[in-house]
Amino acid sequence: MATTETGIETMTYREALRLALREELERDPSVFLMGEEIGVFQGSYKVTAGLYDDFGPERIMETPISEEGFVGAAVGAAMSGQRPVVEIMTINFILVAMDQVVNHAAKVRYMFGGKVGCPLVIRTPNGAGNQLTAQHSQSFEGWFAHVPGLKVVAPATPADARGLLKSAIRDDDPVLVIENLQLYKAKGEVDTSVDGAVEIGRAAIAREGSDLTMVAHTFAVTRCLHVAEKLQADHGISAEVVDLRSLRPLDMETVAASVAKTNRALCVEEGWASYGVTAEVASRISLACFDDLDAPVGRVGMAEVPMPYAKSLEDAALPHEEKILAAALEVCGA
Amino acid sequence: MPEVVMPRLSDSMEEGTILRWMVSDGDEVTRGQEIVEIETDKATMAYEADADGPLHIVAEEGATLPIGATIATIGEAAPAGGGDGDGASAGAASPAAEPVAAAPASAPAAAAEAPAADRVPAGVGAATNGAGGNGGGERVKASPIARRLARENDLDLRQLTGSGPAGRIVKADVMSALEGRGATAAPEAPAAAPVAPAPAAAAAPAAAEAPATNKGEITYEDLNRTQQVIARRMAESKATVPEFTVSTDVDMEAARELRAQLKAAAAEGQPVPSFNDMVVKASALALREYPRANGSYKDGRFELHSRVNVGVAVAGDDALIVPTVFDADTRSLGDIARTTRELAASVREGTIRPPELSGGTFTVSNLGMFGVTHFTAVINVPQAAILAVGAIEPRAVVRDGELVARHTMTITLTCDHRILYGADAAQFLARIRELLENPLQLAF
Repeated sequence: MATTETGIETMTYREALRLALREELERDPSVFLMGEEIGVFQGSYKVTAGLYDDFGPERIMETPISEEGFVGAAVGAAMSGQRPVVEIMTINFILVAMDQVVNHAAKVRYMFGGKVGCPLVIRTPNGAGNQLTAQHSQSFEGWFAHVPGLKVVAPATPADARGLLKSAIRDDDPVLVIENLQLYKAKGEVDTSVDGAVEIGRAAIAREGSDLTMVAHTFAVTRCLHVAEKLQADHGISAEVVDLRSLRPLDMETVAASVAKTNRALCVEEGWASYGVTAEVASRISLACFDDLDAPVGRVGMAEVPMPYAKSLEDAALPHEEKILAAALEVCGA
Repeated sequence: MPEVVMPRLSDSMEEGTILRWMVSDGDEVTRGQEIVEIETDKATMAYEADADGPLHIVAEEGATLPIGATIATIGEAAPAGGGDGDGASAGAASPAAEPVAAAPASAPAAAAEAPAADRVPAGVGAATNGAGGNGGGERVKASPIARRLARENDLDLRQLTGSGPAGRIVKADVMSALEGRGATAAPEAPAAAPVAPAPAAAAAPAAAEAPATNKGEITYEDLNRTQQVIARRMAESKATVPEFTVSTDVDMEAARELRAQLKAAAAEGQPVPSFNDMVVKASALALREYPRANGSYKDGRFELHSRVNVGVAVAGDDALIVPTVFDADTRSLGDIARTTRELAASVREGTIRPPELSGGTFTVSNLGMFGVTHFTAVINVPQAAILAVGAIEPRAVVRDGELVARHTMTITLTCDHRILYGADAAQFLARIRELLENPLQLAF
């Protein structure tokens, strides 16, 4: 970490998450972590590095390879007043714990007539691009954003990673924090002199523009920012990039205000677009902004195939910047 | 509150024009009462109320609207507004200024909805049609923001040419049009009061200032809807149909004799079949024997029709109308005569109804009354052929080696070669001639 005089530090996304965990572990004794190899091994993606040494095995709890079991244990702990923060190594492994997430964590408050909550946090990265092939390269966040009773946040910057994880831990309802494999090493500025909690349910304007609104979350925001530069430099198109940050609740006010300004929208996500986050956002744009639209809302996701292993095919399947650029130009009628 | 929407009055209708409201805004109407005259691409029709209650007019006279667009509402809860009521209904429900409910609260920026009456002319195009790229009969393709801006600035989208995909009118097109007419209304300020509807001349920028040319002064006339349809259909026919023509001369002596006998035999007031009625009947009988002449080339297939419906071209009020004699092959000559008289009268009076103008499988066009000896007609797509009928006149012909004068009529068949080939067309035409030269066969 590089520190400046003002307290603004440049750190990676992974370091920002770690900082949030440390700050919350220090702030609230009911916070504890659970997950596979998050202790001695310091986490598969090193997000929890150093925490085991400082907080010990009772608060940095190593689990067997049994997602259904330890997510269920965390739901129980949350119901009895603890604030467990569960790491699922990647979102691909959450499938065996779906019943615990969807049928238990999301339903507790409703089934107990509001008398019992479930302040559970599940942190897990989505994304592809490391040749992890079909079973380990997926982005399922839309599945969880589909479920009433869950909150889903998806930070794209180190500052938001820290701020949204903090808010998630403090929230009295279950929150999924969708991280991203490509973003862990991404650097950004974080103001460590302030608490920095980021309100859940608020999108952010990652880049201002006037001709096109690009709506994205997690790593797709980074892709869109690069494409926006290209659009400006090569085509004179000024693109605004909206970073959703929260998928549920979804901040349509920010999206709609942007589209009302630009009259054109392109929705981008890392996963499959069919029935995905872009489907939801595009549908809501068409409703909220019908009289503002100058072109049909565009969408880009990964190719609708299981992710191939071969590097060339993986690259072809990803929602890479050439695809986003082409879609942006189409929406702009250029 | 039931909405009265632009009805579909014919198969080919895409939009209609409100010609005249037969009741006043706020009047009580009853189910079945005729309330409005609507001009379609084919005819003018009165349209009836389908509910009881006070009628509130949404679409002004002259407005052209797509099928399904609200033209009025009927019901007790007519919204309030300035009253021009006649006193009788003034107490119950006053005529409205803002008939359309506001948008759902969830819609953020697009808060202020213009009253429907303001929307009508701008949103989907006023009755006027200039020389714009989107003119004539088709639904204007425009993005929602383009429509909104046009609505807010009283701009007729039909005047614009779209630069978007597939000719869609986009925001940039509207903005440049607004700049072009020196509009002061800022597009980002939807609260600005809509300007009063501009007269048609002002809305058509190109037409307004006609430069002096070596053709002298130019005046422009807008096409009425029928003329728009004629222009479109004729161009479509010539552009898409590979056509050829065959002609033959028909000896009409026997037909003349028959007609003289029919005339003598006719009761008082009974219409005497004309030569054209005989041509219709002869064509119908021949069509029965040549199904492809009665068919259509459509979407890569021959479409053959079980009914023989002969359209008869009639010159109307500055237009050409083709009413249909249905099942002409099974009707008697007298029946055809009565039918064509009635249809022609309806055309002249403008009361012809769309069902009487559609369903034709073949067309007969006759200019003989003007002394034209022969001409070629333009196929009424998707029909396979059209018969052009010239005048009956005495001509010098050779009979048994002798030069004699015989009353002769030239008929010319224009054919779509995709379905009706040369030899078939020739035999079909010869069969018509044979029937006309032996007119007693028309009695069957």
